[in-house]
Amino acid sequence: MLKVSVISPEATLFEGEAQSVVAPAFDGEVGILSGHAAMVTVLGNGSLRLADGTAFRIEGGFMQVADNVVRVVTEKATKV
Amino acid sequence: MAKGRELISRIKSTENTRKITRTMEMVATSKMKRAVDRVAAARPYARALSDVIASLYSPELAGEFPLLRQPSQVKRAAVIVLTSNRGLAGAFNSNLIKEARQIVSRLEGDGVDVQLHAVGRKGIGYFKYVGRAMAVQRTDITDRPTADDAASLVDALMAAFAAGELDAVYVVQSQFKSVLSAPPASIRVLPVAKPEGGALPKDYLLFPSAGEILTALLPAYVRNAIYRALVETVAAEQAARRTAMKNATDNAGEMLTVLRRTYNRARQANITQEIAEIVGGAAALD
Repeated sequence: MLKVSVISPEATLFEGEAQSVVAPAFDGEVGILSGHAAMVTVLGNGSLRLADGTAFRIEGGFMQVADNVVRVVTEKATKV
Repeated sequence: MAKGRELISRIKSTENTRKITRTMEMVATSKMKRAVDRVAAARPYARALSDVIASLYSPELAGEFPLLRQPSQVKRAAVIVLTSNRGLAGAFNSNLIKEARQIVSRLEGDGVDVQLHAVGRKGIGYFKYVGRAMAVQRTDITDRPTADDAASLVDALMAAFAAGELDAVYVVQSQFKSVLSAPPASIRVLPVAKPEGGALPKDYLLFPSAGEILTALLPAYVRNAIYRALVETVAAEQAARRTAMKNATDNAGEMLTVLRRTYNRARQANITQEIAEIVGGAAALD
């Protein structure tokens, strides 16, 4: 399981667990499963999706993955 | 009993004032709670951003980023002064204006050309009164500032700084430390100082590269500094208003006690006098 948090400047929009995360990186979508290598990537605009169907529309920012903890830090996020 | 009637009307008017100040105190308390929640909610983003920037920041890279440019001599600077749109908040606005005057005169003393960006009616009113030109006047930022408000304030300044038209940007804000302590402060947002933050372990994969990540995140960091300044100033404003209105309510209460006592004394003196007159009159008849 991954521990996922979605953080925008105004609030923490999501904090919980997910099997997988698909995020819109700057150069296309990137999928994260448990055990992923430590990574920091710049995000573009698009939809962030968790395995349970939760989705967010996000703009910019970055995603940090380490030890099955995924932090999506984005300038604008709205829950879809 | 002319004096008595006068006292009654003063008591009534003080009671009404106390009703108003008490209501304002309660409104400020509830607004303050929400504002403090927003200050707390803004922290995780700021921390996440600072951590990553702190760990990627290196002095060698600093030369390559327009926002990290350290001008050898500051010639032109912008000062963003945050004040509130409404008054009756004690010394809140005058403290911010005093802080702004200090930093402006310090910069001008060093021969810096300062352009003022005033946010909030109170600040604009003051600078208009002293006849000081303002580059930007904003009154549209409410007591629920958004990240977009912050972006609209600082994006033009970042572009000007990157182009070399500005050498420094300061923001005069309240630093919301607690409900009781929110001192005014001037904070330099540009050039960006290395943020405090825990370093990431070295073995992170960086996409596309450390440099590109910094390019993407530095503007977000600057915008966030302004956003935090906005929410903290709003929280401080509400805290200051609550304290001011609480004091006003307490003072009105004290005044009422004194007025009521004076009124009762006058009333009693009146009655005593009347009785004395009646008794005197009756005695005269015997």
